[in-house]
Amino acid sequence: MRWEEKIPGGKLVCMEVWAEGGTVSRVSITGDFFLHPEERITDIENSLVGIRINAEDLAIAARLDEAIGDSLLIGVSAGDLARIFRKAVGQ
Amino acid sequence: MSWRIIDYAENDAFMNMAIDEAVSESVRAGGPPTIRFYGWKPSAVSIGFFQSLEKEVDTLACQDAGVDIVRRRTGGGAVYHDSLGEITYSVIAKEGLFPKDILASYRVICGWIIGSLSLLGIEAEFKPINDITAGGKKISGNAQTRRGGVLLQHGTILHSVDVDRMFSLLRVSDEKIKDKTIASVKERVTSVKQQNGATRDELYDALRKGFRSGKDSYDGSLEGSELSRARALSIERYRSMDWNRMR
Repeated sequence: MRWEEKIPGGKLVCMEVWAEGGTVSRVSITGDFFLHPEERITDIENSLVGIRINAEDLAIAARLDEAIGDSLLIGVSAGDLARIFRKAVGQ
Repeated sequence: MSWRIIDYAENDAFMNMAIDEAVSESVRAGGPPTIRFYGWKPSAVSIGFFQSLEKEVDTLACQDAGVDIVRRRTGGGAVYHDSLGEITYSVIAKEGLFPKDILASYRVICGWIIGSLSLLGIEAEFKPINDITAGGKKISGNAQTRRGGVLLQHGTILHSVDVDRMFSLLRVSDEKIKDKTIASVKERVTSVKQQNGATRDELYDALRKGFRSGKDSYDGSLEGSELSRARALSIERYRSMDWNRMR
């Protein structure tokens, strides 16, 4: 499952989501955005693993917020990532 | 505090990225803030830290054309670095010398490029997040990272551009061109030569002046320790498939 979006005034973000039995097993986020520190991307991807694909917005946002923590996303926001996740899984 | 200016030199893609990282390490350890100018030999494609190599680059076309591919430590987009068609710079300094706000710091360093271009009579402007445009078209792309209290920003200034070659090596995502044709994407790029015919040497002179303006600076070179660290990083990281194909 995959969704790609050019964020208005921001960057291109592509999210690929793998799921087993309705539960997310793997997430990959690629694009030309910026994140400081860069390695935090793995935490952000992993934060969505284990979540149900029909999870509520709040649950998705809480996981993303926790993973993003004090890191800095540029060209895409946590809200954008949550929306792109829902698009990717077709919700 | 005096800036070390390292004169233009050409290296392969892996060594270029490794030198930027080695200098970042030496700045972190107390070395001087550094401005470095460089070129890419052979020509190369660099991709942003978060980009998928397969999605962004036609690897077979690069192989056929003898063009290297390297993943940067910085985010941002894929760039074709033509050996003769551009000049790349890096600015490596303690974070404290720049605004904490990322966009504001892009604006500062991009301002040095805009100042340089104005010496050539080219009117350019900062286009957030990380581009510079002239006549509404992109003439420079830039990317920044911050690690361990050190800011690294590198970017390219296009001198002459072969857009057909550029787009034969880079893949442009459908989403990016959504409502445009590939021809109109090509038309969104310009170069110093296209703007006013200045030579690459004239561009380099202007960049040297523009970047040094208002700074205490001296002509320096890479330390032996930086070079040996860069050689190691070039092999361990930037040439490795694990790194370049990690996304």
